[in-house]
Order: sequence, then structure tokens, then C-alpha cells
Amino acid sequence: MRPAGNEGRLASRAVQAAFVVALVVLWYLGATRWGVNPLLLPNPVAVLGDFWAILISGEFIDDLRVTLGELAAAFAIAASLGTVAGYLVSRSQYRIRAFEPLFAAVYAIPIILFLPLYVLLFGLGPASKIALGATIGFFPIALSTVAGFGYVDKVLLTAARSMGASDYQLFRYALLPAALPIMLTGMRMGFTIALLSIIGSETIASLAGLGHRIVQLAEGMEMARMFAYIIFVVAIAAILNALVSALEARGKHP
Amino acid sequence: MTPSSVAIRISGVAHQFGEPGDARHVRALRDTSLDIARGELICLIGPSGCGKSTLLNIVGGLMSPTDGTVDVLGKRVTGPMPREVAFVFQENALFPWNTVMENIDLGMVFQGVARAERAARARRSLAAVGLEEFAQHYPAQLSGGMRQRAALARALSLETGILLMDEPFGALDEQTRMILGEELSVLLSRTDKTIVFVTHSLGEATFLADRVAVFSARPGAIKTIIAVDEPHPRQPEFVTSAKFTEIRNQLYGLLHEEIRKTMAHTGAEATP
Amino acid sequence: MLARPWVARVAVIVVLLCCWEIAARFLVDPMFLSPPSRILLSLPEVFETRGVPAALRVTFSELAVAFVLSVVIGLAIGLAVGLQPFARKSFMPIILLLYGTPQVTILPLFILYFGIGPASKIAFGVSHGFFPVVVTVVAGVQNVKPILLTSARSMGASRWQVLRYVIFPHMIPSFFTGMRLGMTGVLLGVLLAELYVSTAGIGYFTTLFTQNFDPTRLFGLISVLAAMAIVLNEIVRRAEVHFGRWHTD
Repeated sequence: MRPAGNEGRLASRAVQAAFVVALVVLWYLGATRWGVNPLLLPNPVAVLGDFWAILISGEFIDDLRVTLGELAAAFAIAASLGTVAGYLVSRSQYRIRAFEPLFAAVYAIPIILFLPLYVLLFGLGPASKIALGATIGFFPIALSTVAGFGYVDKVLLTAARSMGASDYQLFRYALLPAALPIMLTGMRMGFTIALLSIIGSETIASLAGLGHRIVQLAEGMEMARMFAYIIFVVAIAAILNALVSALEARGKHP
Repeated sequence: MTPSSVAIRISGVAHQFGEPGDARHVRALRDTSLDIARGELICLIGPSGCGKSTLLNIVGGLMSPTDGTVDVLGKRVTGPMPREVAFVFQENALFPWNTVMENIDLGMVFQGVARAERAARARRSLAAVGLEEFAQHYPAQLSGGMRQRAALARALSLETGILLMDEPFGALDEQTRMILGEELSVLLSRTDKTIVFVTHSLGEATFLADRVAVFSARPGAIKTIIAVDEPHPRQPEFVTSAKFTEIRNQLYGLLHEEIRKTMAHTGAEATP
Repeated sequence: MLARPWVARVAVIVVLLCCWEIAARFLVDPMFLSPPSRILLSLPEVFETRGVPAALRVTFSELAVAFVLSVVIGLAIGLAVGLQPFARKSFMPIILLLYGTPQVTILPLFILYFGIGPASKIAFGVSHGFFPVVVTVVAGVQNVKPILLTSARSMGASRWQVLRYVIFPHMIPSFFTGMRLGMTGVLLGVLLAELYVSTAGIGYFTTLFTQNFDPTRLFGLISVLAAMAIVLNEIVRRAEVHFGRWHTD
């Protein structure tokens, strides 16, 4: 059985590789042989060249700094407010029943809708992105904090109490370890959608940042460079998400 | 036994999972032969992992044996034979999204029964297990015992000559089990079905079986066959009779030895 | 007084609205913030603005078309990939990888390929909406209890019957979960694209109101859209609960 499983896995890998290669080859042929308008589909070789040039010249640094700065600020606000609000709500069944549905209802609205309002209130600069990212990131973090602290097994708490645990000890050794895994999942979700909404709002209305750069290149019809930037941003996002997932996994199983 | 009176002929069946040399290789069953007569109820008992369920799946055509052959009603088994063989499984195998009635109907759809005939058959089989009132219930709304009754009704509605039951009452509590055992015995006395019944309960085997096949530890094979000479339907009093106790004790002695061997074997496996 | 949770909930909402009202009336420049009372009163005005009802219709139909396409495409791909173990092993990692990338980076490409009309909004909505459908459909066809398949086989079910009577019904609850997540995705995608560039949808008016420093009508329009989003989400969520009801064992 096992050799067969290995062969199966190899075959799957081969299919995946073939799929990616086929995509790139189609792209190349489309751009060079079949006469697809280069404004729609730039030559992949040119894209690779531009990608390399962007990396070497370091011209991405300014935009990256803006985007990451917005992300860091937004996430810091979302995480601190979300945890505090979530914790306060989780402290009684009454509060949970009063406020959890409220959070959940707002979470169901596509908050990106409020971007024009944020732009009106906070301007086109980083402040509106930070505010939007913080708002969007707040809800999953607050909801998971409520879920984490609010539904700890009662037996666990009774047991800790019966052994004479103080309030601090109860929090440190019973509540927190039980809540942490769920909270970390919420943090990762909050981070991911904050990143998404920040790049999104940079795309829609902004003066700087990676999303803004892509739009500028699109409007300037610099297709190869735009594709190169898209690849760059996707790579950055993938790295950030992988990093956060790794942190989450580590926090769950120290 | 004359050829025509044999419902199931198992000849030299052996089965192993995985290839030899593989870490997960398991020899489940070695050289097993058995003739089961028409209308007979035979119980297979043995230590866990002795291959009794494997044998049942092979008889029903759900698995192909590594070695040997099975003939059902004179035909070589190569796959499921829904017209000749019906199963009742240990786990809840009812479709949770269908009512009891729909579950029974669906079995007959799979088997290829004409629409006109299905409703009558379903009603008859529901009546046989006493579930008429629960026809429109979903499995989740039924107790474990009622679910297994519904599963039995589904198998009965297929009107096969052979019923293969894989620890059908294994997940139920002792009382429910006893009741269902008695009902099954009554049911059998009215039909001439051939039944192969896998169980690990000595009492259940003694109470239900015409013959009990005791399996040896893994890789399993039939060690002994004990006949239970008592007519169906069997009465609750049978359980308290000296005959019952004697047979049960005999089975206990046989099985005890095999279970000890199994334990020693798994102990040896744990320390390579 | 606070015996019921909803009383506290409503109380908090009222307090927040009061703070907003006071801030908007006395603290913040009316060019940027409008008090909730005025927004409510001027809701009819929003609808009377020339082009707004039409824009709402356009956006709503973009959402509807994108949702239907997401479900159809997602179901087709999900079944194609999910029913075949080898296809699943090969293509699921690719699908999950694509699902995980922030598609908003390629929003300008969608505009480039599909134009600034509804087509690009629909396409972008679909690009957000069909992934969750694929993922949940694949999960749904995959985790059927093996005993149910064995039992169907033992009763003589053909391959098609197994699909029709076992795998499909088993998949339904997760399919509806997928539809709910797909709806969330479609809302995000269509609205992002609308906000990015729009000539006929609501994005045009949000931009217009922002540029005219008209927070009253901007708030009004956005509230209408938020209500629309909540209603759409709720419809799909109800359907999810309804069709998942047997899933209790």
C-alpha cells in the first residue's frame, strides 16, 4: 500500500507542476505567438525582467513601508481593542447574549462599504487605511476572544477553584490556556482580512502604498511592470500569511 | 449436506490486507472453509480482529479474498449480489437525510424493485419490526435500538434469501439487545432466511444460533463449530435453561483461550 | 430593567447613536460627518437623487449574477475535483493556494480585461465567490461516512445512484455553507470593484457624494447597501440552517 501512496503523491506533484508549467507556456505563447494585445498580456520574460529590476533597485521599499506601516498600526489597534472588548463581553453569560449577536451582525456586513466614509473622515492618506483595517480586523478578534473566554469548560474552573486557585492563577492557568488557541485563530483571520482591506483601499483611493502603485502602473499602461508588482505583492502577502500561520501554530503548541 | 441444501459454500478463503513486508501488512484470515445450510442461522464469534467481519464482507461480495472462493446459492461470488444477499451493519448505516420509509424505499430502488411493489413491501417489513408508527421519522429522531430495527426492516424489504448481520446489536445496551434478539428469533421462525450473524456476545450467539462457529485468534480460522439444538422461535426461558448455560460455558472456555492468545500476540507486537 | 439581553444591546446602540449625533452636531465639521437623525430623514432624498435607484438596480443585478455564476462554477469545479481522489490530491493544493492570495491586487486587471461596466464587477465578484463553494463542495463529497457507501453498494446501487442518493444529499449542508461564504465573497468582490471604478453602479455615487462632501447622502446610500448585504446574507444563512437540519447525528 505504501509504495502506491508514494507513487500517487509523486503523480499529484507532477500534475501540479505540469499545470503551472502549462499556464506559463500558454501565457508565453499567447503573448509572443498568438498576438494577444500586449496591453492585456505582457510577455512573461519582460515581467520577470521587471520583477528582478524591482527587487534589485529596491524601489519597492517606500511603498512596502507605507503598506506594512498601515498594516502594523491597524492590526495593533484591532488586536488590542478586539481583545479588550471581547474579554469584557466574555465575563458574563448576560453580556455574551447581549453583545455577541451584535458583533456577529456587524461582521456580516462587508465593511469595505464604509471606505468612502473613512476617506471622507480621515483623508486619502494612511489614516483612512489604518482606520478601515482596524475596523475590519476588530470583529473576528473580538468574536474569537468572546468564544475563547466565554465558553471555557466549567468543570475546569471548578476544579481549579477547588484546589484553591486565586483569581490570577485561575486566569493564568485555566482561562488563558483554554482561550488562547481560539483567540490566535481570530488574530490570524483579523490579520489576513486587515491586509486584504488595506491593499484594497490603497487600490481604490490612496496616495501611496503597494496597492496604489499597481493602480498607477495600470493607469500608465506599464503592463509588464504592473504584473511584476502584482507578483511581488502576492508574494509579500503569502509570506506574511505563512508567517502569521506559523506564529499561530507555535502559540497553540508551544 | 446435499449441494442443493447449501446456501453458502466457503472454500479455502484467506485474506490479508497490504502486501507482505509492508509495515501495515495484516493476515486477517487463513484457510477457512464452511458450508452453511439453507434456512440456517450461524453465528461467528471470536476475539476482536480474528477476521469474522472480513469473512462476512467476503461472503457478501464487498471484498475479494486473497485466496479461496465463495459460492452463494451455487453461484461464484465476484461482487455484491443485492438480489440474493442483504446486509445489516453494526454502525448506523441509515441515510440520515431520509426518513425511515425513504430509507427502506431507497434500498429497493438500488436493488431494482418496481415502484408499484415497493410501498407494499416497505409496509410489510416495517410491520415485521414493529416500526409502522415511525415511518416518517428521521434516523436522528430514533433511539439506537429503533435505528437498528429500521436497518433490519430495510434489509428484510429486499426479500433476499440470505441476511448477513455484522454485530447488528453491538452498539446497543444489554436490555435492548435482549429484546431485539428475541424478536429476531421470532422473525426467523416465520421465514426461511439463511443468516450469518457476527457477534462477540456469547449469550447472543447461544440464544440465536443453530450453529456457532468459534474463530481462533488472528490470523483467524474456524476453530470449532458448536450446534445449538433448540427450535425457533426461542423463548426467554431458554436463557435460564441448563442447556443454554452449558453451551455458553463451552463457548466461553473456547473463546477465553483465544482471547489470551490475542493479548499475548498484541503484547509481543508492542515490543519489537 | 436590563433583564433581557436585547435591552442592553439596544441601549448600547442608542448610546452610540447619541454620541454620534452629539459629535456630528457640535464637534465635527458638517462637511465630513452628518448626524444620524439627519441621515435618516434624508433617506428619501437619496432615492430621489437622479440615477440612484438605477444604480442600486445595477449593483443588485451584478450581485445576483455573480452569485449564481459563483455557485454554478464552484459546484462544477468542486464536483470535478472532489469526486476523484487523484484530481483532489492534485488540484486542491492549487485551489487553496489561489484562494489564499489577496485577489484585490489584480483588481486593475479585471477592469482592464472586462471593462469598466458591470462585467468586471461580476467577474471580480465571481473570483471571490466561487472559491468557498469549491472548497466546501469538495469537503462535502469527501467526508461521506464509508459505511453509507458500503451499504449502498451492498444493496446494488449503481455509481450514478450512489452519487444521486448518497453523495449529493450528504453534500447539501456543506454546499449551503459554501453558498453563504460565497455570498460574503461576492459582496466583497462586487463592492470592491464598484468602489474602484464605476459608471452606472453605486460606486459612481459613493465617489460623487464623497467628492461633493455630502456625508448625509453618502451615509444614507451606504446604509441602504449595508441593509441589502445583511438581507442577502440572512437569506442564505436561513437556507443553510434549513437544509442542514438532518445533520444532527
